[in-house]
Amino acid sequence: MKDKLTRKNIILGLLICFLPLLMYGIDDIVDFLSRYDIYLGWPGGEYMLRIIVRAGVYMLLAVGLNIVCGFTGLLDLGYVCFYLIGGYTAGILMARLGVSYWIALPLAVLHGTVWGLLRGAPTLRLTGDYFAIVTFGFAELFFRIIRNEQWLVGAPNGQLRGIPAPTFFGITFNQNWHNYYHILILLTLVIFITYRLQHSRVGRAWVAIREDEQAAESMGINVSRYKSLAFAVSAAIGALGGGFIAQFQVSISVPFFDFWESILILCMVVLGGMGSIRGAMIGAAILGSLGEVLRPGFIIPYQFGNARYLIFGIILILLMRFRPSGLSLKKA
Amino acid sequence: MAQLLEQFINGLVLGGIYALIAVGYTMVYGIIQLINFAHGEIFMFGAYLALMLITVFNIPFWIALPASMLLCALLGMLIDLVAYRPLRDAPRLSALITAIGISLVLQNLARMIWSARPRLFPTETLPAFLVSEVNMQTGEILNAIPLPGGGILPYRDVFILLLAVVLMIGLNRLIYLTKIGKAMRACAQNRVASNLMGIKTNQVIAVTFAIGSALGAIAGIMVGLSENITPTMGYYKGVAAFAAAVLGGIGNITGAMLGGIIIGLAEVFGAGYISSGYRLAIAYIIMIAVIVIRPSGLFGKSTGTRA
Repeated sequence: MKDKLTRKNIILGLLICFLPLLMYGIDDIVDFLSRYDIYLGWPGGEYMLRIIVRAGVYMLLAVGLNIVCGFTGLLDLGYVCFYLIGGYTAGILMARLGVSYWIALPLAVLHGTVWGLLRGAPTLRLTGDYFAIVTFGFAELFFRIIRNEQWLVGAPNGQLRGIPAPTFFGITFNQNWHNYYHILILLTLVIFITYRLQHSRVGRAWVAIREDEQAAESMGINVSRYKSLAFAVSAAIGALGGGFIAQFQVSISVPFFDFWESILILCMVVLGGMGSIRGAMIGAAILGSLGEVLRPGFIIPYQFGNARYLIFGIILILLMRFRPSGLSLKKA
Repeated sequence: MAQLLEQFINGLVLGGIYALIAVGYTMVYGIIQLINFAHGEIFMFGAYLALMLITVFNIPFWIALPASMLLCALLGMLIDLVAYRPLRDAPRLSALITAIGISLVLQNLARMIWSARPRLFPTETLPAFLVSEVNMQTGEILNAIPLPGGGILPYRDVFILLLAVVLMIGLNRLIYLTKIGKAMRACAQNRVASNLMGIKTNQVIAVTFAIGSALGAIAGIMVGLSENITPTMGYYKGVAAFAAAVLGGIGNITGAMLGGIIIGLAEVFGAGYISSGYRLAIAYIIMIAVIVIRPSGLFGKSTGTRA
């Protein structure tokens, strides 16, 4: 995937760069048509942008989870715990201690990384199912700590409200299009780093560990070190997403970070094809927007609740049965 | 002291229920090395199916109980047939992800069919001795044994414990004394070799799923006798029961029974004396500690790191 300035890529690039303009432009067109009594089912540019930003966060998380699940081949069932750590670290620092976002975000990432390493250390020699169970247990513990320790968050159930928007020389970044470019920059950075890692000595070591840990070790790869690195990078990306979502959502609470969120991100990675950055992003884009469409009250009646998870479950089962390599072209 | 005794009994009862569920996890893991995430959901379905049989079809409790077990056994076998059997030779991760997918589907299906509203068995449909109460005016205790110090031991709890013990002994006899039990043990040792010896492994696995699911269903009904039935109960209780299976050494049936009792006691005492908010966290902590320190569990043979 060298730099290819094909027409398709240029158009895609321009589209990504000017997406908010396009959204607001469609708003104007819809507005104009409505004067002539022509109504399109357009939910509004601001709403669309919010969905796109949220899908962007999912892309970030999917790329992060892909490092552990896809590259090193370990099933992480508790990825959401880094998302939670990032979100609450940044949120508490900003809303309760008045720290600037530009300091809170790196601190959140650092905090997430530390926990990634701490969680990783005892699990280094575990593989497969046992690793999955430990990650799951860790996420549930963090979930419960945030829910129960009121002194930490200041409200029951982890309700953290009034997280201020970041400011930069007097400009407050609270518009949806601000957040769009914000997540775009973060995502670009993360993809650049993971892409470089994947195609470096480190990435090859990860894949070697995935294919055969013992063989990798006997070829001189320091398995513990490379696994720890994978845990740290993955955790850092998760915490970055959390830090961003804290200021984007303004208020966060624990249901936002429950076990099913981990499963949703896993589902994205699996759908896109484990081990592929592009796949993870496509999976996140599809399920992120599908999740929005299938939210209760839109197509699915309210009383069915989170029926979208039913569909995600079916997707997981069918994929594993008929196409374990996901949407990517690589045959697994 | 009276409270201690009461807590102890509560812990035992909860432990008995966990043991019943944990056996389902451990038997399946022992044979096909799969963490059957859907098992907790089968347990939840057991409670809901019994509730539906009783309230919608007006079937008496004593018939609804085995009927629900049978339906859940069929459900377990169906899941194995449709989802797990095609993946027998696929990478282990695929089967695990499929199990999570099935768990998602079943849990949300339950939510769609029965709504998320917590439910209880209507007391008038239950056998009289399972409904114990203390008459506040007369101080008369119905269907319960008074404990020294003022607490009561409901017949219901005695019933749950006895049932759990009887089922456990029955399962133990089944595994060690019958032909199918022998086949199951053989499959757990080496599935390919068992197949070569003429054991129909797929049938044995189906029977394992059926037994585990039936025991899970009965555990679900037992929980429904004293607690609310909700679509998420399978998830919460399932994880605690899984912790019990891990604690006892996964694949080890006797270990799962003892693990269930230990987790049940730890949960009740932890909730009573540490913090009720961390009720389930105790099971998670035990589970993580066991996996990290001694992956083969308390009673399992030390086999190093199980892949």
